[in-house]
Amino acid sequence: MIELEIGQEVEMEFGGKAKVLSVIGSGGQGIVYLVRFNGQKWALKWYDINKMAKPAAFRKNLQNNINDGPPSNKFLWPKYLTKEAEDGTFGYIMELKPEGFDSFVDILNTYKLEIDPLTGRAVKRPVKFNTLSAMVTCVINIVNAFRQLHRAGKSYQDLNDGGFFINVNTGAVLVCDCDNIAPDGSNFGIGGKPGYMAPEIVRGIAQPNVQTDKYSLAVVLFKLLFRGDPMEGEKVVRDVCLTESSELKHYGQNAVFVYDPNDDSNRPVRGIHDNIIKFWRIYPDYIKDAFIRSFTTGITDPTKRIIENEWQKLFIRLRSEIIQCGCGRTNFSSMFIHQNEKTFKCPKCGMEFVTIGFSNRDYRTPLYLGCKFYTCEISPESDDFTAIAGELVENKLKPGVLGIKNCSDRQWKAKMPDGVFYDIAPGKGFPVWQGLEIDFGEVKAKI
Amino acid sequence: MSNEHVTEPEVNENLNVSPLDDFDTAETVSPAPVSDDSILDFDDDPLSATSVSKKSLVIFFLIDTSGSMKGKKMGELNTVMEELIPEIRRVGEADTEVKVAVLTFSTEVRWMYSTPIPIEEFEWARLRASGVTSMGAAFKELNHRMSRNSFLNSPSLSFAPVIFLMTDGYPSDDYKEGLRELQTNSWYKFGLKAALGIGQEANDNILAEFTGSKDTVVHAYSGGQLAQMIKIIAVTSSQIGSKSMTLSDDTTHELGEEDVFAAKQKLLGQQIQELVSTQTDGDDVPFDTGW
Repeated sequence: MIELEIGQEVEMEFGGKAKVLSVIGSGGQGIVYLVRFNGQKWALKWYDINKMAKPAAFRKNLQNNINDGPPSNKFLWPKYLTKEAEDGTFGYIMELKPEGFDSFVDILNTYKLEIDPLTGRAVKRPVKFNTLSAMVTCVINIVNAFRQLHRAGKSYQDLNDGGFFINVNTGAVLVCDCDNIAPDGSNFGIGGKPGYMAPEIVRGIAQPNVQTDKYSLAVVLFKLLFRGDPMEGEKVVRDVCLTESSELKHYGQNAVFVYDPNDDSNRPVRGIHDNIIKFWRIYPDYIKDAFIRSFTTGITDPTKRIIENEWQKLFIRLRSEIIQCGCGRTNFSSMFIHQNEKTFKCPKCGMEFVTIGFSNRDYRTPLYLGCKFYTCEISPESDDFTAIAGELVENKLKPGVLGIKNCSDRQWKAKMPDGVFYDIAPGKGFPVWQGLEIDFGEVKAKI
Repeated sequence: MSNEHVTEPEVNENLNVSPLDDFDTAETVSPAPVSDDSILDFDDDPLSATSVSKKSLVIFFLIDTSGSMKGKKMGELNTVMEELIPEIRRVGEADTEVKVAVLTFSTEVRWMYSTPIPIEEFEWARLRASGVTSMGAAFKELNHRMSRNSFLNSPSLSFAPVIFLMTDGYPSDDYKEGLRELQTNSWYKFGLKAALGIGQEANDNILAEFTGSKDTVVHAYSGGQLAQMIKIIAVTSSQIGSKSMTLSDDTTHELGEEDVFAAKQKLLGQQIQELVSTQTDGDDVPFDTGW
């Protein structure tokens, strides 16, 4: 049975039946249905085993993944297998995508199609991140999810834009299509999607593994931030038609990054790659350097690819360098005027922003009303990039006076204008002034 | 865009078909100028992006609307094509802009719309059948339009088109001459070709001449089959057309151009044959019986 009928019941491996309610979508390996099982709604992925190289091994791997459980709650993980039908076909069920999440594809498209119930016509509804902070948080979440997966000794295999659901308000991420995930070194027949596959896979000399995942991850991150294909520039567009052999050439044998500093043969083309041209001017050098490394030395030498932990640090820094000016301008500090060593200035309204230096970083962080720092930034042992440790707020009793509020559960010490360090208990705060020093414990900070 | 001309793509002599030789590069390509304008000289909002640049994939449907298609065949075809459009919409995802062009041929050849239409906006205009089967003229017209100066004028990169021929009879004109012209077209050479013969009269050998292999030719003898086959071919070919290959198990040998040449067409043949073999006839009444 390649296709299931609406109303049909599918027997689950450990008893019970899932009843098919409707079709959710179809992909290269099979069809996803909405089903009811045990009184709850689930998604059932039903495989077309004709398109599978090794269905038995695939099923066994899926079974192992179900037993191991997801690396974290960022994965829409397979939950239960179905029984095999007489012809050997099978599927698995997983939880449904929660409300409020859009697919990564829709974000890249900047809209999604919805069917107008009155006219039956497809209408475009815009999809974009609500805030810059949500976008960078999303990037950190993606990187972190793959760090967790790789730490569990598994690789995703066909990492591409179809693999994520994203909440554009919060930056929360759900990794979906987890059924090809396999122990590093194994492969059950999945190749990947063009543009996302590592060059050595395109060239036919490697199978998907953790190293090729790292390449695909860099492509995903590049697409999310720069909104274009890192390897599609002038050199590729000149081919006009992307035949099999030009794909082998431009994504395999002779892949050239559009901003390779040592090879300008494949620069982005105005009118086609306007996003990349624009965003390449906006991002700070340490982000651009990481992509340059991924897509130059990282092409030929998989061990030179950026590891997830490094990406995570870079994007935590990027998030801390967002400035939200009172005039409405929100951008990275790289797009504000660097007035002097310790101050940024808004190019639009002239407002100035002081910066604070932390003892565990070699760059300074701008302060503005509403800016936040996170637990991982003030406790070296923490990996928690979502828990807010401190926030710059206005004193409720003294309007106009800005200070930092301790949102963590630890006591800090802060130097007040009288030159004395005072204990700052959780929930308390202290004013921001010229000579401010903060002692978070292991990490110290100074204006 | 400047008027500077584009360098001719290199032609690999080893291939029996020289690649890209007539993807006439009418459009010019110039890299972005390096600029050091000040911060406020451009829209620098990190959240305002346009859609990622997409590769373009045109699906050509060549449909026989001769008199013999009248009645159930045409009714079935119209219905399945209407249903098919939303299914193909999902295929492109974020990387590919899928467009559809429909060429009908009977006594005359006629495009449903004067230009390929993005799949999101495409609406099927119901077809009627009458007249004879000018398949050769259709091939000539397709050859004429499959050009950078005409239907395949996307400024960005394109995938090779999908070309899907459906007919129920023997051509009434010199199809061989038309096909010869078409075969010189690089878009045709690299395109994904599939054909569907409808009823007893359609000649699978002619269709195989068009697609280049028997694997990509299927036959429908009943209304139910017609609907199944159209969906199988259209969805499979557009999926393959907009994606690259799944890869070989053998990683000891690096792929060369000869390994990947026409790989998509071969994959299409395999998948169509696999899918067709799993379809069932049901109790459908053949087109040619019951009169």
